[in-house]
Amino acid sequence: MIHAVLIFNTSGVARLTKFYTPLHQSAQSVVQKIFSLVSTRPAGLCNFLDAPELEQFLGFKGDADERWRVVYRSYATLYFVFVVDGAESELGILDLIQVFVESLDRSFENVCELDLVFHFDEVHHILAEVIQGGLVLETNVEEIDLAIQEAARARKESFASANPLSLGSVGLTPRGANMKTPLGWLTGKLTGAGAR
Amino acid sequence: MWERTLQDLVRGLRANKNDEAKFIGKAVDEIRQEIKNDDMELKAGAVLKLTYLDMLGYDMSWASFHVVEVMSSPKFHLKCVGYLAATQSFDQETDVLMLTTNLLKKDLGSTPADISVTLDGLSHIVTTELARDLSPELIAMLNHSRPQIRKRAILALYKLVLKNPDTLQHARVRLEDKLEDPDPAVVAATVNIICELARQNPKEFLSLAPQLFHLLTTSSNNWMLIKIIKLFGSLSPHEPRLVKKLQPPITELISTTPAISLLYECVHTCIIGGMLQGPQGDSLARMCVSKLATFIQDPDQNLKYIALQAMAKIVPSHPHLVADYQDTILSSVNDQDISIRMRALELVSAMVDRDNLQSIVQQLLAHLVKDSSMMPTASQILLQNSASPTSSPPSPSQSPGYRLILSQRILAVGSQSTYENVANFEWYISVLVDLAHVANVDIGVEIRDQLVEIVGRVRGVRPFAVKLMSSLLADDTMLRNANEPGSCSEVLWAAAWICGEHCSALSDPQKLLPHLLQPEVDRLSPNIIATYIQAVLKVFGTWASELAQRWSEDDLPIVKEKVINIKNRLEDLSGSSDIETQERASNALQLFSFISADLNSHRSRRPSISAASSLSMFEETSITEDLDFPKSLYLIDPLFSSHELNPVANSAQASVPVPEGLDLDSWIVAPPPEPTGYKVVDQADDSKKKKGNKGKEKEKETKTSAGKKTKKHNGEAVVDGDLLVPVESDIESPEDIEKRKAERQAQLRDDPYYIVDDRSTKPLEEVESIPVVHLEDMPPIPHESRLPSLRTTSQSFSSQSFVIEKDGEMPEGAILLATPKLSTPASGSSRSATPARLTSFQPYEIADDAPRPQTPEAVTVLRTKKKGTAAKKKKTIS
Repeated sequence: MIHAVLIFNTSGVARLTKFYTPLHQSAQSVVQKIFSLVSTRPAGLCNFLDAPELEQFLGFKGDADERWRVVYRSYATLYFVFVVDGAESELGILDLIQVFVESLDRSFENVCELDLVFHFDEVHHILAEVIQGGLVLETNVEEIDLAIQEAARARKESFASANPLSLGSVGLTPRGANMKTPLGWLTGKLTGAGAR
Repeated sequence: MWERTLQDLVRGLRANKNDEAKFIGKAVDEIRQEIKNDDMELKAGAVLKLTYLDMLGYDMSWASFHVVEVMSSPKFHLKCVGYLAATQSFDQETDVLMLTTNLLKKDLGSTPADISVTLDGLSHIVTTELARDLSPELIAMLNHSRPQIRKRAILALYKLVLKNPDTLQHARVRLEDKLEDPDPAVVAATVNIICELARQNPKEFLSLAPQLFHLLTTSSNNWMLIKIIKLFGSLSPHEPRLVKKLQPPITELISTTPAISLLYECVHTCIIGGMLQGPQGDSLARMCVSKLATFIQDPDQNLKYIALQAMAKIVPSHPHLVADYQDTILSSVNDQDISIRMRALELVSAMVDRDNLQSIVQQLLAHLVKDSSMMPTASQILLQNSASPTSSPPSPSQSPGYRLILSQRILAVGSQSTYENVANFEWYISVLVDLAHVANVDIGVEIRDQLVEIVGRVRGVRPFAVKLMSSLLADDTMLRNANEPGSCSEVLWAAAWICGEHCSALSDPQKLLPHLLQPEVDRLSPNIIATYIQAVLKVFGTWASELAQRWSEDDLPIVKEKVINIKNRLEDLSGSSDIETQERASNALQLFSFISADLNSHRSRRPSISAASSLSMFEETSITEDLDFPKSLYLIDPLFSSHELNPVANSAQASVPVPEGLDLDSWIVAPPPEPTGYKVVDQADDSKKKKGNKGKEKEKETKTSAGKKTKKHNGEAVVDGDLLVPVESDIESPEDIEKRKAERQAQLRDDPYYIVDDRSTKPLEEVESIPVVHLEDMPPIPHESRLPSLRTTSQSFSSQSFVIEKDGEMPEGAILLATPKLSTPASGSSRSATPARLTSFQPYEIADDAPRPQTPEAVTVLRTKKKGTAAKKKKTIS
């Protein structure tokens, strides 16, 4: 199964951390360790992180098949890191990272690091449509996209019914949410927790 | 109210990069206010912000109750926030989880959107209690009308089964039905969790093989096919018939599929599923290896990586197939990618056999050497650091972690199954010494242990080892760098020990003494210094006893000088702050003081009867009455050489028969009475009885203890009466002390390990009474080389074969549990080979002086043919 999904940027700042198995270290130290190992690897090397320091860090598993593997891919300024065990196919996980990124791209229309920064809850919701509890839920980008849209619509409707004054700037309209229309700004302030 | 939203928080963080902690402190204060607000929107906003801060490493466990509040909101967009916060921050110990059971039950019966979020949340936060309480709802959910819900329920079921295995019994039938679900994603999810479950307990799922086989041959979903193939990989070792059944479709897949990930999994499953046995398997194995070989040569590094990984698994069963690609694999160890190097290393060490060990180890060693020559030496680094920081690009083989792994691999392949693959131990010992020089990581302890083990087990290599080790002792580069990390100075421990223990192999052992005595040794760690001291004793003892056999009066000043040097050094060391060093140095110092006194009083003479009787304990050792040497030259040698050190079998201790009548539970020396110091014996009636009883008991106790110990005064320690009495009094009369002393001295006189200093009473006249004889025309001791050399000249590598004592020594009269007949080479030879104390050592004989052959001759490894416990006994020497 998949034990963790991490996204961090090229300076090692975490943009998403999701642990499906509790680790004995803090999330920060895991991100820092993996970042320090990944960031020194020049492009063109393989996507599997295998370092002597890592085995001690993740906890040594006697059986080679049970060894945790770190599979990563870098996109522009972001590293997408999956920590998996022997039940997952390494190459399959590489494909899965691609699927996840494509889903993000569809939802955010040309996803960039800032989208992940400002909509970190959205990223979690999207990830939840790909992986649930460390097991792969869906690998088909179309299906994932549909599910994401459906969930987003449900949140939007719920928000709209709770905040009749707002312009419905919630959910999957990230660019709109950042727009500072006078009315949007006002309603955002008036409703307190609006514009999420 | 002008609360910040999550976006405001993020913006604020970005604006306050320099003062993040302060900004966050302020934000958390605000959050604490907002989270208590009755407005659910506000509360949810605060929780969301907290969740974000949690990712940055700020604790949010204090807010868990508020998280549950938000989870229970009927509004979907707030509920999502609550569940997100719960999945991110709750763990198994979170106490509010107990409150969520009904909430989760309610949400599982709500709208599909709610159910999805709940199932996702549940698979994170499920505890044993939640799993027990919610399993009926979840099993019902497996038949939900929507496929999205069904697949989520299936995945959540796995998490529940992990927490509460009983759930599987109830869900089993429905779960199996899901393999025929109309929705492919649901089938994939089912296969996924069966794959996970079968990894833990494959036998339970063998009955599903037909359905899975059907899926394998009909499906085209690569993701699911990978999972099915993996699943069969866990199942087939438990069902031989499956192997035969699977071979055709997997062969088909391997040759047709365009998806490399699937192809790789097929190959991988063939290997781990045991499908490569038998005639059909052989061709399959050939196909797998050739596929993997093309992967290794592929420019895509990912393929190279996984191919190496799979090869490592195929090596044990089909080494000959992999051996064809040895060069390619070895070149992968040079890859610039450390991940690939790690896999290649693993594969290479799996490939090692008797024939290729030397070439492989040399190549691995070359990696370390090459880099260390590029790397400045420790002292240079020191200079550079003081001058300017160096900024060289990091290369994998410079990373200390990698160097450590590489060094460990070299040691591991060498020592595999008790050095089975090592044909030439002289070569291997040189490798170990080289490794200590070039490794530059803390591997010294492992090298030390291997050196000592090899010298213990392989008799034939001892002379060579001693020679090499003595040159190591003479080489002060290692001593100089002893305090640098990665200096491997522990090897000097082995060097000192081996030289000390086997110095009789050297022709001039005394030449080692200056190296062992040099003050620079102080840089080493205390336990190494302690070994040095022991080595000094052994070397001197061996040398002195040899000297005594060919004694000439000209030797006297030489010996004296050595003894003075040793004494000076030992005096320094006996002031060491380390207790072990101090103690050993003091012990040795006393011995040398005695020798020195004896040497000073030595006059060449015919041995008189009185002298011989005063040194009665050495009588048996004096073989040549004609030679007149200081008797103390024989003082030290017997301390070390009376019994040969041999490897001890693992089970030796356990096999020592328990002597009859041994009762370990009874007191050898009865414990002293309670050390209460003074004890008031009360006269009050009620307590008197009690105390009186106690007192009698005590009296009995003291009596028994006094009986067993030497004379001990107990007398009227406990009497009834109003007295302050010391419970234990050790006042002895002077007569008692005298008597005891006399007894003790009488004992010591018979004890060969005590030297009774009779001269203390009348030293002068005895010395005067010794007749003096001058021996003349004795040749002086030659002084050619700085280093001692071996007694027989030998080539750097001999072509002899080595015998490894794998099993070790067993005690005499051992009770051989489950091994009725034990005929180890060690137990046979070592007993008889216990050397007579003064016979000169057996010279190391080499048949011919031919130069070292390219391929060393075959070596016979003596393995005792034992039934049963053969595997248990290995690798210990003590």
